[in-house]
Amino acid sequence: MIVAIFLTLTIAGALGATLAAAFGAPPSALGGALAVAFIGLAGAAGAAASALRARDDLTEPRAPHGPTHPRPLPADVTRPVFGRMWFAALGAFAVLGLVPLVSLARKPGRQARTGWGPGVRLVDENNQPIPHDRLVDGGIETVFPQGAAELPEAPAVLIRGDDGGYRAFSKICTHAGCPVALYRRASHQLICPCHQSIFDVEDGAKNISGPAPRPLPALALDTDGEGYLIARGDFDGPVGPDDWDRVL
Amino acid sequence: MIVRRTVGWLDERFGTNALLHVALKKIYPDHWSFYLGEFALYFFLVLVGTGVWLTFAFDAGAQNAYGSVLALAARNHPIGYEIRQIHHWAAVCFVAAILVHMSRIFFTGAFRRPRELNWMVGVTMLLLASFTGFTGYSLPNDGLSGTGLRIAYSVALSIPLIGRWAAGVFAGGDDFPGPQLTTHLYTLHVYFLPVTIGALIALHLGLLVYQKHTQFVRDPNRVVGRRFWPDYALRTVAALGATLAVLALLATFFEINPVGDYGPYRPWIVMNGAVPDWYAAFLEGALRLGPATEIRIAGHPIPPVFWPGLVLPSVTFLFLLLWPFIEARLTGDRAPHDVLEKPTQVPLRVGVGAALIFEGLLLTIAAGDDQTAATLHVRLDTLVWLYRSALLLGPIVVGLLAARIAMDVRARAAEGAEPPPDAVMLVRNAHGGYEEEEPQAG
Repeated sequence: MIVAIFLTLTIAGALGATLAAAFGAPPSALGGALAVAFIGLAGAAGAAASALRARDDLTEPRAPHGPTHPRPLPADVTRPVFGRMWFAALGAFAVLGLVPLVSLARKPGRQARTGWGPGVRLVDENNQPIPHDRLVDGGIETVFPQGAAELPEAPAVLIRGDDGGYRAFSKICTHAGCPVALYRRASHQLICPCHQSIFDVEDGAKNISGPAPRPLPALALDTDGEGYLIARGDFDGPVGPDDWDRVL
Repeated sequence: MIVRRTVGWLDERFGTNALLHVALKKIYPDHWSFYLGEFALYFFLVLVGTGVWLTFAFDAGAQNAYGSVLALAARNHPIGYEIRQIHHWAAVCFVAAILVHMSRIFFTGAFRRPRELNWMVGVTMLLLASFTGFTGYSLPNDGLSGTGLRIAYSVALSIPLIGRWAAGVFAGGDDFPGPQLTTHLYTLHVYFLPVTIGALIALHLGLLVYQKHTQFVRDPNRVVGRRFWPDYALRTVAALGATLAVLALLATFFEINPVGDYGPYRPWIVMNGAVPDWYAAFLEGALRLGPATEIRIAGHPIPPVFWPGLVLPSVTFLFLLLWPFIEARLTGDRAPHDVLEKPTQVPLRVGVGAALIFEGLLLTIAAGDDQTAATLHVRLDTLVWLYRSALLLGPIVVGLLAARIAMDVRARAAEGAEPPPDAVMLVRNAHGGYEEEEPQAG
C-alpha cells in the first residue's frame, strides 16, 4: 500500500517533469517534479525493503585463505616458456612506446616577447592610448603595449602614486601567473587575489609577503610628444613564474 | 511475461540462468556504512548520463566554449540548466562520496590483506575523479576556471628538467593559454578519464564480489546477510533513488558554478575571493601557505609552486596508495582478515587518519585565508604563520590525541567486557578461529 503511494508519486513526478519540460516551465518546476519522482522511487524501494526486514539473515561460506595450488603451471611444463629474451623484447616495445609520447612534447620555448620596448605606447583595454593626465593620484589601470596587447606576457598595471608619478609593473604574478589585480592605495600594495602575494609599489614592487619569489618586473615610462604615456624599454626582469630552463 | 521470455531466450542461447541463479542468491552483509560506496557509484552513473547529453550541447572550441555553456545552461533553457547543474553537483558529490567511503574502509580496516589491491584501485579512482572534476570545470573557459588553469600550467612549468615540455604538452603551445588547451581538456574529460574510471569501477566491483564483502563480526567464516534478490536489490534501488533525489534538489534550488557571473577568461582579469571546487581547495591552500623561496641548482630555478603544487599531493597520494602495506609493516599484522574492526580498536590507524583529515581540512580552510583574515580582523601575515605552524605541529598533536582517545575507549570497552572470575576467555585469532586465553596470575 505504502509502496503504491510512493510509486504513484514517482509516476506523477516523472510525467510532471516531462510536461514541465514540454511547456518550458522554469527550472524550479522541472527540478521539483524530478525530485518528487526520485523521492517516490527511494521511498517505494525503501518501504518494500523494510517489509522484508522480519525475514532471517542467511549465510554463505567464505573461501579459506592461503595458497590454492602449489604450482599454477601444468605438470608437463617444466622449463620456462618465456625466457629472458622475451622480456628484453617486451622492454624494447616499452621504449618504442615512449616515442609517440615524446613526439607530443612541444618545442620547449617560452615566448620571451612581451611586446614592450622603447617608445611603445601604453593602451587601455579598448586599445586607446593613455594621455599623461589619465589617472588621478592613487589611480590604477591595466595597460598593454600598443599593437601587441594579445601577447600573454604583455599586461601591465599602471599606477599613479600619491606624489603624482606613474609606475608600471607586469601584471602577471611571479608566483603562479595570476593577474595581480588588487591595489590597496593606503599602503601602496599590489595584491594577487589567487595566493595573496603582496608587492610594495613604492619599493620597486618588491615581494613583501606571500609566496611570490621575486618582485614584479617594472616598466620604465616616459611621455611622447603628443602627451601620451610610452615605455622606455622592456620590463626590467622576466615576466611570470620561473621554470627550470629560465636560467637567470 | 516479457521479462520471463527474454530471460528464457537468453538462457537457451547462452546458458545464463545458472549464472543468474548464483548471482541473485548471493549474500550481501548489511550495514549503513556499506552504502557509501554505492552512492559514489550512482553519482558516477549520473555523471555519465548527463555528461553524454552535455557533449552534444557544448562547443569545445576555445572561441565558443564559454558562449555555448551560457546558451545551454541559461535559466530560460530549463532542460540544459537542470542537466548542467545536476552534472556539476554530481561531480562535487562524487568526490565527496569517494572520500567518505574511503574513510569508512580506512577506519574499519577493510583494506587489509587480502583486499590491498582493491584499496589501491579505489585510491586511484579518487585521484582520477579529482582530475575529471578539474578538467570538466575548466572546460567553459570562464574567468574562474581559466585562472585555475593558469595556476595548473604554472605548476606543470615548475617541474625540474621537464617543466617546459610538461607545460607545453598540457597547453598545446609555447605559452598560456595554448591554442589546443581546451581540446586537450575535452579529450581528457569526456573520454580518457571517464573510460578509465569505468574500467576501474568494473575491477573494483569484480574484486568485491569475488573476494566477498567484509563485515563486522557475526561469524568469521561465513558471510551473514541478505540475498541480492529481492532484499539487497530493493535497498540499492532505494540508495539510487535517494542519490537522484538529493541531486535534483541541489541542482534546482542551489545554483553551483554560475559561469555567467564570472565572465569569459581574460588573462589580465581575476575575481577576488576566487577559489576552486572544494576537492581542489587544499591545493589552493597549500600554494598560499607554501614558501616563497626559489631554490636554484646550478642556476636552474625550482619555482616555489613545485613543493605545495606537486610534491605535496604526490606524496599524499603515494602514502594513501601504499597504506595497507605501511600499516602491515608498522603492526606486523600480515594475516588475512574478513572481519572489520571498530575504529577505536586500532589507535595507530585512528591517529594517522585523524592527522590526515586535519591536514586536509587545514589546507582547505587556508584556501580562504584572505576572507578569514578580513572577517576576523587579523593580519593575513599572522594567519598564514598560524596556519603554517598548525600544518607542521597540528598532525602530531591531533594524531596523538586521537590515538589516546581510541586507547581509552578500547580500554573501557575491555573493562566492561571483563569476564566473571572462573569463566574462560575466548579470543578470536587472526585466522578467524577461537582460542582460549591463558588465565592471568592473581
